[in-house]
Amino acid sequence: MSSDEEEVHQREGSDDEEDEDRINRKRKRDHVVKSKAFIDDDDDDDDDEDDRRSTKSAASSRSKGSRRPSASSNNNKKKKRRSYDDEEEEEEDEDEEDDEEDDEEYSRKRAKKRKSGVGGFILEEAEVDDEVEEEDEWEEGAEQYIHGNEMDEHGPTAREIEGSLRRHSIWDSQKEEELEKYLRQKYADEATAQRHFGDGGEDMSDEITQQTFLPGIKDPSLWMVKCRLGEEKYTVLQLMRKAIAYANNNEPLQIKSVIAPEGIKGYVYIEAFKQTHVKNAIEGISNLKMGLYKQQMVPITEMTDVLRVTKEQTGLKPKQWVRLKRGVFKDDLAQVDYVDLAQNQVHLKLLPRIDYTRMRGAMRSDSDSPNKKGFQKNQQANQRKRRPPAKPFNPDEVRKIGGEITSDGDFLLFESNRYSHKGFLYKTFQLNAILAEGVTPSLAELEKFGEVPVEGVLESGAAVTTPGSKSEVTHNFATGDNVEVCDGELQHLQGKITAIDGNKITVQPKHEDLKDPLDFQAAELKKFFAIGDHVRVIGGKYEGDTGLIVRVDIHCVFLFSDLTMHELKVLPKDLQLCADMASGVDSMGNFQWGDLVQIDPQNVGVIVRLEKELFHVLTQMGKVVEKKPQAIHKKRESKFVVGIDSRGNSIQKRDIVNVVDGVHVPDRQGEIRHIYKNYAFLYSRMCLENGGIFVCKTNHLELAGGGTNTRTDGGSKPGAGYMSPRLSSPMHPSSGGGGGGSGGNAGAGGGPNAASTSTPQNILSGGRSPLGPGRTNVTPGMPTSQRRNRDLIGQTIKITQGHYKGSIGIVKDATDTTARVELHSSCQTISVDCNRIQVIGGAGGKTGNVTTYSRTPGYSAGGSSATPMYRVGDGGRTPMHDGSRTPHYGAGNQTPMQDGSRTPAWDPTVTNTPARDDSEYYDTSYNPATPGYSHTPYTPQTPGGYAASEHSSNYSPYNASPANEARERGSERGSERDRASHRDDPSSPGGYGMLHSVPSPGGYAPSPLNYNSPMTPSGAGRGNPSADVYGHPQTPGAGLDPYSSLGGPSSVASATSSVMHGSMVSHQSHGYNTEWQTTGIEVTIKESHPEPGLRRQNGVIRNVLVGTCAVFLVQEERTVNVQSDQLVAIIPKTGDRVKVIAGELREAFGYLKSVDGSDGVVDIHGDIKFFPLSFLARLVEY
Amino acid sequence: MAISMEHEILLHPQYFGPKLLDTVKQKLFTEVEGTCTGKYGFVIAVTTIDKIGAGTILPGQGFVTYPVKYTAIVFRPFKGEVVDAVVTQVNKVGMFAEIGPLSCFISHHSIPAEMEFDALATPACYKSKDEDIVIKQDDEIRLKIVGTRVDATGIFAIGTLMDDYLGLISS
Repeated sequence: MSSDEEEVHQREGSDDEEDEDRINRKRKRDHVVKSKAFIDDDDDDDDDEDDRRSTKSAASSRSKGSRRPSASSNNNKKKKRRSYDDEEEEEEDEDEEDDEEDDEEYSRKRAKKRKSGVGGFILEEAEVDDEVEEEDEWEEGAEQYIHGNEMDEHGPTAREIEGSLRRHSIWDSQKEEELEKYLRQKYADEATAQRHFGDGGEDMSDEITQQTFLPGIKDPSLWMVKCRLGEEKYTVLQLMRKAIAYANNNEPLQIKSVIAPEGIKGYVYIEAFKQTHVKNAIEGISNLKMGLYKQQMVPITEMTDVLRVTKEQTGLKPKQWVRLKRGVFKDDLAQVDYVDLAQNQVHLKLLPRIDYTRMRGAMRSDSDSPNKKGFQKNQQANQRKRRPPAKPFNPDEVRKIGGEITSDGDFLLFESNRYSHKGFLYKTFQLNAILAEGVTPSLAELEKFGEVPVEGVLESGAAVTTPGSKSEVTHNFATGDNVEVCDGELQHLQGKITAIDGNKITVQPKHEDLKDPLDFQAAELKKFFAIGDHVRVIGGKYEGDTGLIVRVDIHCVFLFSDLTMHELKVLPKDLQLCADMASGVDSMGNFQWGDLVQIDPQNVGVIVRLEKELFHVLTQMGKVVEKKPQAIHKKRESKFVVGIDSRGNSIQKRDIVNVVDGVHVPDRQGEIRHIYKNYAFLYSRMCLENGGIFVCKTNHLELAGGGTNTRTDGGSKPGAGYMSPRLSSPMHPSSGGGGGGSGGNAGAGGGPNAASTSTPQNILSGGRSPLGPGRTNVTPGMPTSQRRNRDLIGQTIKITQGHYKGSIGIVKDATDTTARVELHSSCQTISVDCNRIQVIGGAGGKTGNVTTYSRTPGYSAGGSSATPMYRVGDGGRTPMHDGSRTPHYGAGNQTPMQDGSRTPAWDPTVTNTPARDDSEYYDTSYNPATPGYSHTPYTPQTPGGYAASEHSSNYSPYNASPANEARERGSERGSERDRASHRDDPSSPGGYGMLHSVPSPGGYAPSPLNYNSPMTPSGAGRGNPSADVYGHPQTPGAGLDPYSSLGGPSSVASATSSVMHGSMVSHQSHGYNTEWQTTGIEVTIKESHPEPGLRRQNGVIRNVLVGTCAVFLVQEERTVNVQSDQLVAIIPKTGDRVKVIAGELREAFGYLKSVDGSDGVVDIHGDIKFFPLSFLARLVEY
Repeated sequence: MAISMEHEILLHPQYFGPKLLDTVKQKLFTEVEGTCTGKYGFVIAVTTIDKIGAGTILPGQGFVTYPVKYTAIVFRPFKGEVVDAVVTQVNKVGMFAEIGPLSCFISHHSIPAEMEFDALATPACYKSKDEDIVIKQDDEIRLKIVGTRVDATGIFAIGTLMDDYLGLISS
């Protein structure tokens, strides 16, 4: 201690000799004054000193209070140790080792001292605690004194005297070994001493003993005095000198101590019993002038806080990552090169932000400031401007803009900044300009530093922050984690975390000889994983994902994600062992993996990957786009949506299908996850891209195990039969009774259900539950919100999902979304989502069927009523619905065909007949609304446009010629038919019914989707839908949609018709079959081609016609017409000239440079693009 | 490995009759075989039915549940197990293989470095430099399971070829 003091004073070097003397005297008293100067108002007597301390209650400690009690002998020893330390600084470590009693307090002080060991001030600061401690020690000693004050008056205890004697003798000898020995003994003794004198023979818990140190009312108060900023420490010294100077006067200062805690600016604390004492003390001290009139007392409870060490600023270690707080580099990541504590500076390595656009040197114009970033003067100006990007230093660029670069050893100097050859900026920053805590560099940032594996992740496993920050828990360890010790003696020891307390982590080591749990600091540990561990990512980009570890590198871990089947590269610290598998459920609001979402009115997609703030969405066009959750919304989807596969089977969600055609690799199998219009999103485990999800046209699919649908096999009684004449005839607009119009429509929907097991009519409802239409009949006039679904009421259902899965009950009440179900098993009525129930007891037991049946009548019946409902509810939809659909079907184009084809099919479903009655009933209920409705929109259009066009196309259909109508639709429809006929039976041109066989349902299907789709241009609830529909520029496209998709099932499409529709919409939903056929590409004729001679022949498409292609057969050197769907594009090989046959760049030419998995690298006029191989076809010159 | 297990069979009243127990057995086979539990792994086949307990009629429903004790051959993959598998898919991130009902992924990290992925070959394959070892789809390989993920409905494994005697089984 004493030597310490001396040191300090010597450093000050301004004390006069008198002072010096006094100091020496004081030193003998072991009274240390540090930056928190302890000013003794007592005489220079040892005993008095003791006295003073003993009068303080044991609770008067202002120290942090985490100290342990010790006997008075301890104090001496400690003091001694301190002095020893100070004298022989190099021996500190040794000392430390010796110090069995090395308590927390002590080490903290030491740390503080070490770090601040630069300036005298900080050193002094470090001593402050010492001082306090000493005081405390005395106070502890006081315990012992309490029983007899007189003892104190008589002098120190025998023990002390003996101790001091011994100390002095040893001091004289100055031999290290002796000292060491002495200290060892001392501390060994101490234990005994403590046992004897100390805590009354009992160990007191830390908390209790600490309590006793807390200041009480009898202790002097702390006064906060304003001080000139930055002069705090100096002021303290000044006060100390003053106190010393006054000490021998008549009026010694009556203050106890002065404290200037680090980190508190503009204030010093003065400890005194009375405010007047404080005032006396600070009088005449210029720095404290502003505090002269007002001193604020620190409440007792807060006194300890004053001395709380807030944070360890200098936990900075080289290589540590920090962030900058301000300037151009704000928030930039930097790495500590070295720390210069003396200057309070830190030397950082970071990526420079040089504005290469500004001219320098000779080239600069006047307006340019001579400076670039970095310099504070210009920072603001720079900030106002664009912030230059962080890039490695580029000497060439700098020279280009006229900058001068000089070299300084290994460094390049540019504008007085030093750059390494790797392009990093090395620059000195103030300590307070950086943020050292909680800095977790992202992988991307680390990669920019280019040294990720080498050093960047040095601490990645461990908590990166300073271990000293006590309040925040900065690591992310969890109980049960496997960890490895990465620092200290036990490096590489592995273990399992058994307990965590703040930053203290208890680890059960996995070692033969280490049986007991060990405690570690978080920073000493890093997570440890083995190959095959199943882990969850708890931080970073892939947060929330889970996977199996396939590889563990030193600094990163590769996982194989459960969900996406991707490989993820993650830092070990972001991982955690977990048993469960990420479902991805709700990891982002309402969205989860595999959800169907609406991207924009025209496009939907499926979420194939969830990242922290981004979704990867596979759109219906097969592209993966990244979307923010805000940019998309979930598409409500009925589970009853049904599509038609290439063979006319109805397919729905969860069906397993084979991909038989299209751009995707054929022979792929997948499970249908979603159906949207005529696109199906499939999931296949064998597909690696997008986590196994891919998108296909429904007509490129084939229901696995499904044979040819019954509907298609009889050419003369095709699916179109669903249009029962009975039903459709009244729907003709001219037949009056608007209800009939859509009634027919609905009947049309009902028909096929009745006829076959499939439920194409479900499609009608698009995204809605098919229950929807049915229900409308019940309470027609009601607004959209809650309508009762009477069809369901009374049904026995089974709950298919959720908690009550498997339960059976009776529907007591139902709306379109929920059903009240009285459970059979328990006496309970619960609400169940309609999507989660399945009607049982019906024939077949399959939901689709049963509900269809029960619903059909509702639909047809309600159809009439539904129309107005639509208008009421989904206004947007209505016009389209009315405009495009009703007249069509109603127009009678289909009516005749049903006669032959469908009637029988219809008949078996007489179950529906009652429903008809219903419909009548409802019709009447509707009548008021109907006429107005049906008339307004239809009359202008129906007779002329629709009916005519339809008829024309129907009756003179087989020529593909666009013929009669200005409306492409008509022609297209015709062509579609044509194609259909080609497909189904090329030889027979007629087959009215046949024409409709497949396409009709298909065509039918999409149309309602269109109606549903938000894109439908006709505004919601417009008064005159038909006018709107046709008046709107979009309308043709939209209106055409259904027809174009009619082409879907027929798996033929015409390029011509696609040309006809300019609008995006129509283009999408239509002509998809033609999407890939294009001229000049090499194709193979499928095995299924009717003409055996042509099968498997290779050819070149010469010309693409409607539904067929002119194919030049290479072998036979002749050109034949082949139906487009009998062609398969030949997948090109590396080096081939290719033509892009799908996607955005369709029709582009290029060279296939290489093949990467299923992707091809294509050089398109020097532009390198990636395409799925299936998007490419070999181009043949001819 | 034959394991004794229990299962409850829920039987519709329509099966009540002389062949009731046969139905129970039949139902057990269909319900149990081919399933996968986290504890025992895949149930390959029921070998014996040890005991069919007394059926309990579910109140209000008429269904009957029979507790059935049976012994079944199960397949439970363990970490470290060496198994033979059939390659089902090969791509640049690795390959998938099937060990009976268990599908297994072998990351390219776990494939010896001298084996390189060749995307251009048809079918795509992993082959060593001198092309004397080629692993492609439908080949039989021997692999070591290094990790499994067990969930309610299935098991997924991760394998490695990075050990002695692992890799292509030359037939």
